[in-house]
Amino acid sequence: MIRYILWILLIFILLVSPFVGAVDIHIMELMDFNSLSSYIFFDLRLPRVLFAFCAGVILALSGLLFQTLFRNALMTPYTLGISSGAVLGAGIAIKLGLGSLFFGIGAISIFGFLGAILTVFLLIYLSRFLKSAQHESLLLLGIALSLFYTSALMIVFYLGSAMQNDILIRFTMGSLSVIGWQSPITLGIISSILFLSIYRYRFELQLLSISQTQANLKGVNTKHVSLVLLIISSFAIGTLVSISGPIGFIGLIVPHIITKIHPATVNKRIIKTALFGGFFLVLCDTITRSLSTQSELPIGIVTALVGGPFFIYLIITKDKK
Amino acid sequence: MIELKNLRCEFDDKTILENINLTIDKHLSILGANGSGKSTLAKAICSLIEFHGEIFIDGKNIHSLSLKEKAKTLSYIPAKLEMYDTFISVEEFVLLGRFAHKKSFFDYSTKDKNITKQTLEFLKIDHLKKHRIDSLSSGEQQLALIAQSLTQQSEIIIFDEPTANLDPHNTKIIAEHIKGLKEYHSIILITHDIHLASFLDSPVAFIKNKSIIYYENEFFKDENLEELYGVKFNSLVAQYD
Repeated sequence: MIRYILWILLIFILLVSPFVGAVDIHIMELMDFNSLSSYIFFDLRLPRVLFAFCAGVILALSGLLFQTLFRNALMTPYTLGISSGAVLGAGIAIKLGLGSLFFGIGAISIFGFLGAILTVFLLIYLSRFLKSAQHESLLLLGIALSLFYTSALMIVFYLGSAMQNDILIRFTMGSLSVIGWQSPITLGIISSILFLSIYRYRFELQLLSISQTQANLKGVNTKHVSLVLLIISSFAIGTLVSISGPIGFIGLIVPHIITKIHPATVNKRIIKTALFGGFFLVLCDTITRSLSTQSELPIGIVTALVGGPFFIYLIITKDKK
Repeated sequence: MIELKNLRCEFDDKTILENINLTIDKHLSILGANGSGKSTLAKAICSLIEFHGEIFIDGKNIHSLSLKEKAKTLSYIPAKLEMYDTFISVEEFVLLGRFAHKKSFFDYSTKDKNITKQTLEFLKIDHLKKHRIDSLSSGEQQLALIAQSLTQQSEIIIFDEPTANLDPHNTKIIAEHIKGLKEYHSIILITHDIHLASFLDSPVAFIKNKSIIYYENEFFKDENLEELYGVKFNSLVAQYD
């Protein structure tokens, strides 16, 4: 019963969200396309809600994917240092003052993507030195990489001018504010690709979530499936982070909440995790917009403030078992 | 029929098995001391590990089979269920055996579900079908693993110490099921349980000093066992009645 109320509440927030913010929207003025309300609603709020929703989908699905493939509840692109890799990449692009490079795609996006994908390959390469199924060590590698990237980012700060650093600091806090429809649509396409590819391999993932060896013996090409999904998800994360900056903990919390309220095998949790991730980030974003009227609280701070205590809770309850 | 030709397996630069030449006609029990390489041999047959030499199944090189073809040819039942995602019912778990038979992307078919239903009834565990797999006892879990393997409809079934975690009562149930399966499947059994091996009465491969001693019969004689294991045996009576 509680879970249905939760879902209805989240859908309600999605509908209400575009009306919340520093400026009140007058519904009567919406049809008048020259009014301020109409501009704010259609060019700022709606794209922002769509952007937040798609970002939530990407973060939650990547979390679910990483947790399933590495069979550990703490594995997410964020904890494995993939987000940090993207931040460093994007930071370097900001420092170098690069604009758009190819076909109108921003250099920041490309560098962010490269940061994410290189981290994945680095992790895959390093994991060869680990004995099979030592996923805890992989997690430690991810944390070590995160620390390394953070220090490297500090060097970028150190070398940067005051203006570049201001952009960088705002970037590392994470933000969902977008203007116009270009980034929401880009993210919409990418999140759909991620969703479809995970859904296409849902039965393979179901077997993988039980045992890698058994999945292989039942006929799953485990290496192929893992690699394809990891690359697609790194691509999605890299693109997202390069636009919005890092948004932590969604990938960690959402799959875990879904497992608690809808216990079922992973193939039955894909759609719910994607939707819940979208709704949840829209909720967090609505909170940031409604809290202050002077300037907005960065979204990365809100999700991390909610996520931090939850992370601790997760570790404590896992140890009790 | 499985043929092993000049098989050599290594682990961490140590040779575990070498010069293994063996033709498994239909059934085989693999015995040997702890760490002698029984499981390594089974993993090589499943090509789960890298090996030197060649393995042929019904005349076909194992490396020429696709993963799905391999799954339709042989299945492997581990001693113990190890899983990350435990939110799975027995019914769903057994259905997974049909993976190699189902079309990619699409859901499991009605036929797959019927085969699962029949298998659960055959092993007399259909009353457990809605239970979560991690709520089952070790004996029931072993039956669920066997059921999953049966829905896979593979010619060869490899059991890796099926009774290692079981009490005598459950050992008897599992032993009788395995014996019953000998009629339709080729059974390869890895075990420490001499009772079980003698009950199944298959030819025996005893692994010692990295190679195999093959016994068509004659293995279960007290003098032979004493010589191999260095422990006194008193007329092994292999009966579960």
